[in-house]
Amino acid sequence: MKVSDRVQRIFWQLATTSGDTTIIITGGALIFSVIITMLIVTASGLLASCQDAWLSWGQLYFCYDPVQTARLLFISPLENKNNLAYTLRETTILVFTGLAVAISFRSGLFNIGVQGQMIFGSIAAAVGLLLVAPLAPTGLIGTMLLLPIGILIGAVVGGVWGLIPGVMKAYWNVNEVITTIMLNFVAANFAFALVVLYYQNPTSDIVETAPLPPTASLDPLFLAPRSNFSTIALLAAVGCVIVVYMFQKYSILGYSFRISGLQSKAAEYSGIDGKRTVIYSMGLSGAMGGVGGAIWAMMSVAGWAPGMPPYGFDGITVSILAGNNPIGVLPAALLFGILQSGSVSVDFASSVPKQLVDILRGMIVLFVAMPGFFKMLGRYINREGRYNRNPPQQRNPNEK
Amino acid sequence: MRSKIARLGLILLAAAVGYGILTQVSPATATVVRDILTQPNTYSTGLRLAVPIVLAGLGGLLSEKSGLINIGLEGLLIMGAFTGIFAVSLIGTEMLFAVVPVKWAAVLIAVLITSLFSLLFGVVCIKYDADQIIAGLALWLIGLGLAPFIAVVYYGGPNSGGNVGTLGTWAVPLLSQLPFVGPILFVASPFVYIMFAMVLLVWILLYKTKYGRWIRASGENPDALETAGISVNRVRYGTTLLCGILSGLGGVSLSLGQVGLFIGSGETMVNGRGFIAIAAYLFGNYTPTGTLGAALFFGGLDGIQTQLQSLPAYDVPDQLVRSIPYIAVVLILIFVKKTRIPASAGENFRTDEE
Repeated sequence: MKVSDRVQRIFWQLATTSGDTTIIITGGALIFSVIITMLIVTASGLLASCQDAWLSWGQLYFCYDPVQTARLLFISPLENKNNLAYTLRETTILVFTGLAVAISFRSGLFNIGVQGQMIFGSIAAAVGLLLVAPLAPTGLIGTMLLLPIGILIGAVVGGVWGLIPGVMKAYWNVNEVITTIMLNFVAANFAFALVVLYYQNPTSDIVETAPLPPTASLDPLFLAPRSNFSTIALLAAVGCVIVVYMFQKYSILGYSFRISGLQSKAAEYSGIDGKRTVIYSMGLSGAMGGVGGAIWAMMSVAGWAPGMPPYGFDGITVSILAGNNPIGVLPAALLFGILQSGSVSVDFASSVPKQLVDILRGMIVLFVAMPGFFKMLGRYINREGRYNRNPPQQRNPNEK
Repeated sequence: MRSKIARLGLILLAAAVGYGILTQVSPATATVVRDILTQPNTYSTGLRLAVPIVLAGLGGLLSEKSGLINIGLEGLLIMGAFTGIFAVSLIGTEMLFAVVPVKWAAVLIAVLITSLFSLLFGVVCIKYDADQIIAGLALWLIGLGLAPFIAVVYYGGPNSGGNVGTLGTWAVPLLSQLPFVGPILFVASPFVYIMFAMVLLVWILLYKTKYGRWIRASGENPDALETAGISVNRVRYGTTLLCGILSGLGGVSLSLGQVGLFIGSGETMVNGRGFIAIAAYLFGNYTPTGTLGAALFFGGLDGIQTQLQSLPAYDVPDQLVRSIPYIAVVLILIFVKKTRIPASAGENFRTDEE
């Protein structure tokens, strides 16, 4: 069988079989979104001014080399220890935000507010730890005591912030997409004001809290000591994935989440309390976001400063890419960790703006959202009926 | 109608009680609030700030009336705001035939590009059967990435370079001389007049034309409409296009109408107005006039907070004051009791042909 036939066959299988097609559709969506984004990058190179254009065609100068950009974006994050550590650090946080979004999306709720829940979770963890840390013993025991406290504070505060839109949805049927987005803005503004008003580090010129003491921060153990990547945090993230998976698969509450997501009316008829599901799901989702925030505060910043990267928004893409499946969150978060790290490489080693990753984020969501596109593509490839399991139908002789 | 008046009365009463409490708790703050509320400047700012919300809200309203929930209005506003400024950068700021500023051509370009962007949403939902909410999120995320990306390519940073100037204000002769109301309503950005015209046009379109009936039927009972021989999906493509035109105008009103710049850092200069627009038509109970009222309320709050920030004696961090409109949207949505959401909104319509 020729290679092209093989590729076509894969596409055709993608269009016909059900069940396992999600992975293939996701893969197809990824490929298409990367291609489209690279086309945008290449085309926008026409607008830029540069000394040595990658390609010139008459008077047209293409400044951006898509192949080099793709290499920087996907390969260089894995190339050396420092880049790898940065990639895994971003991956760790994205696992938490991806899980947070996945919990809500699974139960049919669109929690777009993970960003805000993370911001509040992170500032609460940082401030709480700054208060508690002087009381704790130093050394390993202190760390083993303080880290869970930080995570707990993050979970509680993030969870409460997530409960607000949950309660509003449950009791007043308020559209959670809008409330969560509005609360993102509120969280960012309030956290900033809190630092300015109460928790500003007096010895710093920029807005930030005092740094966390070493006992209360997650230190790198193995990989690249100066990278701020903590292997323990990554292990905790993987642990969370397993817990959420077990929760959804084996617990009654997790089951009711899933059923509500699939068919909210049917869930109500079968005796599942819809209001309770909505509230719990949003609360848990927010708590997971808050944990991600606490990890960010303890690992990446060791303190708190405004201007948190859009982990919450990336979490949406991670979750959608993972099909809202907790296990799938792991590879999806790794991909986005690579992209985040790659965007730094792109920024550093080429003139292509690092915002290309933001375009890619949107494109991935767009393509994953339309399985119909890939079904049609499959049907187009198979327009002659070559890959049907059943013998091809007799073609209408009148048809051209 | 009566419930509407009751609701309005309730809000006014709450405001009055709040003000009463404020005079007791902190007389100084109460004075500040009174000063701000009696300044015409507050209202003209509020009116100007309401424009993008109203225009995007009308677009979202038409779209949802026909059955497509477009949660990506934010992305459309970002595209409109950016392409307007970008077009001016490309074509310049001269006068056309010595009277018409070329910037109006930029407005047209922005509307055109935004409409194409909106059609993308339509195609994805109608032709490829995408989940409307997720496709809307994609629209937002793409706008949030694409506009700053091209800004960095062209201007070297996420914000556009030098200020290209706004389209200025138009004063209506005679009427602008009226006390208090004159400077608010009749010396305003051209987009304020466009906004009022659009509210009227959308109202006429929805309730007085055949196409308006199709739009409403397409959202309420698409099967019946299809049976009557009208293509539901064609109606929906139409509203998607209109949504793009209105949102494009809204976006460009923000950049070319108010500032003369595009700000692409953080959440861009649109700053959630696309989502506030959705809240506006929900709170406006799916009517053009209701959308106008709700958006004026949100815009007014935005105007008040802008004025508050400019007061030197007021030492509350700007960030807290800036949160006022967002908090208001969240609180207001609680009071949206029974919205008349179109029965088939959010469901893609499948024809049997495929």
